Amino acid sequence: MNLSTPSAPHPYPRLRRFAIDVAITSVFNVMIAVVITYVMQVHNNFLVNLTISMCIGTLAVTFIDGGRLLLWGLERPPKLAFFLLLAVALPAAQQLGNIIAAQITGVPAEYFSAARMRNPTSYMVVLLLISLSITWFFWNRTTLAQLRAAAEEQKARAAAIEKQAAQAQLQLLQAQIEPHMLFNTLANLQGLIAVDPARAQHMLDHLIRYLRATLSSSRAEQTTLAHEFALMEAYLGLMSVRMGARLSYSLRLPEALSGIKVPPMLLQPLIENAIKHGLEPKIDGGHINVEAAQDAGTLILSVADTGLGLDAVPDHGMQVGLKNVSERLQVLYGDAASVSLAPNVPNGAIAQLKLPLQT
Amino acid sequence: MTDFHALVAEDEPILAAALVQTLQRLWPELHIGAVVSNGADAVEKALTLQPDILFLDIKMPGKTGLEAAQELAEDWHDTAPFPLVVFVTAYDEYALQAFEQAAADYVLKPVSDERLAKTVERLKARLARHQDRGGELERIVSQLRALAPAASPAGERLTMIRAAVGNQIRLIPVADVIYFEATDKYVNVVTADSESLIRTSLKELLPQLDANQFWQIHRGTIVNVSWIDAAVRDESGKLSVKLRNRKEKLAVSRVFAHLFKQM
Repeated sequence: MNLSTPSAPHPYPRLRRFAIDVAITSVFNVMIAVVITYVMQVHNNFLVNLTISMCIGTLAVTFIDGGRLLLWGLERPPKLAFFLLLAVALPAAQQLGNIIAAQITGVPAEYFSAARMRNPTSYMVVLLLISLSITWFFWNRTTLAQLRAAAEEQKARAAAIEKQAAQAQLQLLQAQIEPHMLFNTLANLQGLIAVDPARAQHMLDHLIRYLRATLSSSRAEQTTLAHEFALMEAYLGLMSVRMGARLSYSLRLPEALSGIKVPPMLLQPLIENAIKHGLEPKIDGGHINVEAAQDAGTLILSVADTGLGLDAVPDHGMQVGLKNVSERLQVLYGDAASVSLAPNVPNGAIAQLKLPLQT
Repeated sequence: MTDFHALVAEDEPILAAALVQTLQRLWPELHIGAVVSNGADAVEKALTLQPDILFLDIKMPGKTGLEAAQELAEDWHDTAPFPLVVFVTAYDEYALQAFEQAAADYVLKPVSDERLAKTVERLKARLARHQDRGGELERIVSQLRALAPAASPAGERLTMIRAAVGNQIRLIPVADVIYFEATDKYVNVVTADSESLIRTSLKELLPQLDANQFWQIHRGTIVNVSWIDAAVRDESGKLSVKLRNRKEKLAVSRVFAHLFKQM
């Protein structure tokens, strides 16, 4: 019973490759015998010529291909070393092949040499051409295999990136309307309805604006900075109703940058971080400043807070939210984008995103 | 019937106002002496106002409700009965289970009228039974003990303390530490021949220490048990430990007094 699947890798890849190469060479050998016998009309004995061609060809492939596979495996061999191998293997295969062929056919080896002597130039040219074309064939075959492997690797990488992008999209969706945030906001809203109905109405407006903008930008692949800033204003508005005097905020978007296109929801994780780790645990709370700027083709988005600062965060590492933003930027822009987290002066933290400016 | 006083500690102003309003509607005779917005203020106000009832939000800046309750239990003067504590918490399944297990009184945010009405009934009943209130401190102490997170066995054990002394970093083997003492922003690491400050808190340090070797005996003190000579109670009933070959005595708070009950 054969348990191996068809696509399973061969247990001896080099042996398999060698067998295939020998088979291909055999086809060449037959073709060479045909050419020598009927086109060049040397000895006019096809069987003798086939034997000679087979002997020399098989020895040549054994020396060259076998040597290559032993020395470099399935990798492409270094050019210079490979030509050295050719220079040694070809004459050796020719001499040895002649002797073996003479033994098999019973025709004395001098007979071949005599035939050669009669037309030495054409013989050498034929031998050289044959050798070179076969070598060229195999060389290209290696290249082709490598190209194919490279293409497959490229495809795998593209699939991985696509998967990462899909994952990032999912995280984005989850990050947007975090149940905890919604629940806390509703709790406050319920409280406000009893205490101050007018302000409750105002907060409800904020919430509706926030939810609507969140939904529309979660469906879009790109949004404008103006839209993103409006969304963050609604978000900070909700947070400041909750935290009262402990949270103040400012948003600064230069008019020239308001139409700039950005991926949606880049800022919210940074603001959430600043509130959760910087301001919420601080007794007096503090201020958040969200700002956009440009510098030579780079868009710089920063969220600065006056909270507890980086020392207060348990493991100093990037928080989940920042990590997600960093992964999304990596997928979208590669190394052209970056995320950083640094101490603010005199206290607090600054999170900064840098990405290519797109109009 | 005497009037009762309450203190509300809640950091979100709207939720605090809503809780106060609902309480006033359900229990008009209750005096709400103060509303504070962080743990430190809650302790301070509670010690000065000595309320009968304390509503403590769990998640507050500076000090959590649990930390505030512990500090209050440690510092409470026995001139007045300890307040009845009601923890206020946002929805969080694990924490709720912990409250149930510790038999601690709690209400969920946003507080619903029905739930708060039940809590009010229970509080009134307990306030009416005067003999109960003497045991309130023990009750809260045992509740806090049950609510304290158990040291995680999987956590990384600290073997060396890295302390900055001048411009060099000194390595202190944890086994050499006699006790850790919390100061304002630092922890003082005391060994037989040195004292050094490290920038951390006892709260962060505790899970990294071997619980059999190091005992917390006060909110500000963790002591190496092999250095303890004896626990002594003075005339006023205050418990402290004497250390081997050391002059200083370390205070043991009510919350940790159970560690020194005889076997």
